[in-house]
Amino acid sequence: MSNAPAEATHVEETPVEEIDLGPANHVIDKYLTLPGNLMPVLQGIQDEYGYVPKPTIDLVAERLNVYPSQIFGVLTFYAQFHLKPRGRYIIRVCVGTACHVQGAPRIVETFFDKLGIGHAETTSDLRYTFEKVACLGACGMAPLAMVNDDTFGKMTVQKVAEIIAEYNQRPMK
Amino acid sequence: MVNLTIDGKQVTVPKDATIYDAAKSAGIKIPILCHDKKLHPFGGCRMCLVEVEQMKGRQIPACTTPVTEGMIVSTMTPEIIQARKLVLELLLLKHPIDCPVCDAAGDCDLQNLTYEYQVNSNRFQDEKFQHQIDYQNPLIERDMNRCVHCGKCARICDEIVSFGAYSFINRGLEAKIGTEFDGPLNCEFCGSCVSVCPVGALVSRPFKFKARWWSLNKVKTVCSYCGTGCQLTLGVKDNKVLTTVYDENQGFHNGQLCTRGRFGYQFVNSDKRLKTPLVKKNGKLEEASWDEALGLVRQRLADAKNVGASSVAGLVTPRLTNEELYLFKQLFNKGIGSDNIDHSAGYAHDALTAGADESLGYPASPASISDIQTTNLLLVVKTDAYETHPVLGFEINLGVKRKGVNLRIVSDKKGKLSKLPNAVTYVHKPASEVLLFNALAKVIVDEGLADSSASSLPGYDDFVKNLGACAPTAVAAQCGMSADDITALARDYANAEKALIMLPIGLAYPGHGKALAQATINLALLTGKIGKEGCGVLIMGEKNNSQGAADLKVHPVAGGLDAMGILGGCASGTIKTLYVVGENPVISYPNRKKVEAALDAVEFLVVQDLFMTETASKADVVLPACSFAEKNGTFTSAGKAVQRVRKAIDPIGMARSDFEIFNSLYSTLGGDSFKGLSEVFAEIASVVPSYSGFSFDGLDENGSVYSVANKPRFIPSVVDGQESTTGVMALVTGSALNHCGTLSLYGEGPMYVCPEGYVELNSGDAKKLGVEDDQPLTVKSSVGEVKLKAKVSMRMPEGVVFAPYHFSDMSINGITNGAPVTWVTISK
Repeated sequence: MSNAPAEATHVEETPVEEIDLGPANHVIDKYLTLPGNLMPVLQGIQDEYGYVPKPTIDLVAERLNVYPSQIFGVLTFYAQFHLKPRGRYIIRVCVGTACHVQGAPRIVETFFDKLGIGHAETTSDLRYTFEKVACLGACGMAPLAMVNDDTFGKMTVQKVAEIIAEYNQRPMK
Repeated sequence: MVNLTIDGKQVTVPKDATIYDAAKSAGIKIPILCHDKKLHPFGGCRMCLVEVEQMKGRQIPACTTPVTEGMIVSTMTPEIIQARKLVLELLLLKHPIDCPVCDAAGDCDLQNLTYEYQVNSNRFQDEKFQHQIDYQNPLIERDMNRCVHCGKCARICDEIVSFGAYSFINRGLEAKIGTEFDGPLNCEFCGSCVSVCPVGALVSRPFKFKARWWSLNKVKTVCSYCGTGCQLTLGVKDNKVLTTVYDENQGFHNGQLCTRGRFGYQFVNSDKRLKTPLVKKNGKLEEASWDEALGLVRQRLADAKNVGASSVAGLVTPRLTNEELYLFKQLFNKGIGSDNIDHSAGYAHDALTAGADESLGYPASPASISDIQTTNLLLVVKTDAYETHPVLGFEINLGVKRKGVNLRIVSDKKGKLSKLPNAVTYVHKPASEVLLFNALAKVIVDEGLADSSASSLPGYDDFVKNLGACAPTAVAAQCGMSADDITALARDYANAEKALIMLPIGLAYPGHGKALAQATINLALLTGKIGKEGCGVLIMGEKNNSQGAADLKVHPVAGGLDAMGILGGCASGTIKTLYVVGENPVISYPNRKKVEAALDAVEFLVVQDLFMTETASKADVVLPACSFAEKNGTFTSAGKAVQRVRKAIDPIGMARSDFEIFNSLYSTLGGDSFKGLSEVFAEIASVVPSYSGFSFDGLDENGSVYSVANKPRFIPSVVDGQESTTGVMALVTGSALNHCGTLSLYGEGPMYVCPEGYVELNSGDAKKLGVEDDQPLTVKSSVGEVKLKAKVSMRMPEGVVFAPYHFSDMSINGITNGAPVTWVTISK
């Protein structure tokens, strides 16, 4: 950030959450001199950790000389940022108009039942995060679900169990 | 200038004005909720919508729209009124109508506008907000259900306070003002946000349910904490100061206050106030009548006058009014015939009383507060000026952020202002400031950057000769700064068109006061940066009337004993009667053990104070005095503004004003009896050259700033270098943010923000010692030892620790001895 004080130095603080600040410091180093660097820094940190952990907010505040409250304001404004750990596999089910009339609510309910979580929640083993989304842009395949980048069209209640069974076998890292 | 027409009125305004500014200057009121004259325009609330003929049919916000030539503006068309009503309806949709229990009622912009626009029904319906109210701190209550999203709190905290406690969080309907992680408020608690909140979303908790706003008697006076001289409006009811009332048009600071000014008034009506005189009988202080107590003092002083006036001495606090200080000096000099008087331990203000006086011919700053924002480069010495004078810190903030002032901080630690845009903090070794300033001067002389006027000033040759050994390379190690940094700083200062040096002084910054003031003045003289706008040296006195005490020369002027000499005399027996007014040397003067021994040894001790202080408890006679809220008079600010202090309440209990007490003693000791304050002020104006022309009743509403005539000379400043030994740390004392002297110990705000003493140390040093925040540490010097809680911070350099001096328990003067640095060992 252009108005950082001349003496901004590398900061190491004892974190509240036990996380390694190394990757966050690395991201900040990369963008330190870029004007308007807050967004790319926060995006970079989310890429590294999967979410934006609290200690990294304090670190960004100190190193970029931005108030923590303002960073929090940015993080809560944009839907793309997450303040809690997210699952390894993000399940997104479309509940847009086309999917809705093709039975999306039942697909959603089935995922809720099988995973034991609700909308925008994460399983305790951090394997799945479930989200209802408005439209995934493939109405011809309605009802539609996605797991990370994989797409599953013409969803049925049976297919929900199959998808979960398959992804239970996938690695966590 | 731009000409436009508003509601048929011709208006001419500067071209950077907005429609709102233009209307205001023409006396046309445009309603606002989110606009504040101190903040950048925001344009969020849409209350100030107006119509401009050239922009047909559009309603535009007056607060963000700049004027253009020939604009024809209508502020009150039926459509505009309709639009404003709609805005109010929408706000009232969510805003709870709990005005009967809201402290803002009567002072609420939303309430007033709803009334003004007669919004007596609402076409819409919705649920109210269900936000939790933040009751986590005792000073500021946050009820976000009442919030109208004007954003003023977030903006003032960012733009002026530079703390940034708030931000808009979330999005859309869920958007609200919140803190980091939407947690409870945890900040400096200056209350700026409370002052600008247009509704009751942010209210002062100490004032909650105390009185309706309209039932308060509002008295304009001057804050009695630090030397900044902020104007203050006290909210008074039933002889109690219940709150401070925000007035955006007051003073140079536009009503801005710090924690102690806004939330520190409770000492006035404190239960701990002394209410009757006390006289020591059989070793115990017992209640007595004024006749008895004052009779004893009078007798004692009269006797002393006959035997030997030099056995009498007086210590007075610069918190008194000018009139009282003048009377105190008259009482001693003329009534008793003793020159043994002093204030603030003698050294605290010697930057003014000796430093500036010798260098310039008057004991005041060759600069004023308005120079902070008109300069190009600010060089702040000792601290960042924020922790000693917070409202001047706001001025620095504004200068740096709005006017592009370059900030250079030269201190033994970093401060909050070190984080301002483009600020550079040079952390040097403690107590090396004088050497550093000599080195800066050396660079300027050697590189030919000096002003042509310098060499013709008296003392120039000696001054330059004295710089001989001060080349940056020679002093770099001693200063703890690189020679390159020293050279760069010297060039920055010399090359700046205008540069202002700021030097906070006070009891907590002992040693080198005079030498440092002279070194800074030398630098200003050398570069010709004095006596011009935005230039000079602003020496900022610690107490509300430090400048007045210096102006009136409340110190020995004819060979009398200074404060340290007086205490020495008490211990040795040459001083037999000591009259202490408002000072608490046991806590605030260096070397507590020595001070206590001196006060125990003196034959007769009179203490005149608001409270039973540690010093008063040793007295033979205690006289209860009045606080600033109980008296009229004048204070002089660090910026040389002589300002009126106005009586808000009647004296507490049997307390009498210091003026009344001194006047009574003086008249019976053969002096004149003054009839009133105007008479004393007139005499001051005739004796103190800089006050000539001022009269008590003729003082300006915003304070009358006196001017000074420079009689400058160079005075070489030299101090002994100090070397540490291994294993020993340097302790520097200072002011904790939002405390001031020992008076703030009786104010709720300062005591919440900082309730007790601590020792602040670098995180590396803390790791070595194996300590964490709040763990107890033993700090030991050659004078004594104290136990203090650790405060681990990023701002201290390694090997240097900081401790504030205000606190009575484990007072830091138990280990200090009046040196600028105390060498200590620290253990768990």
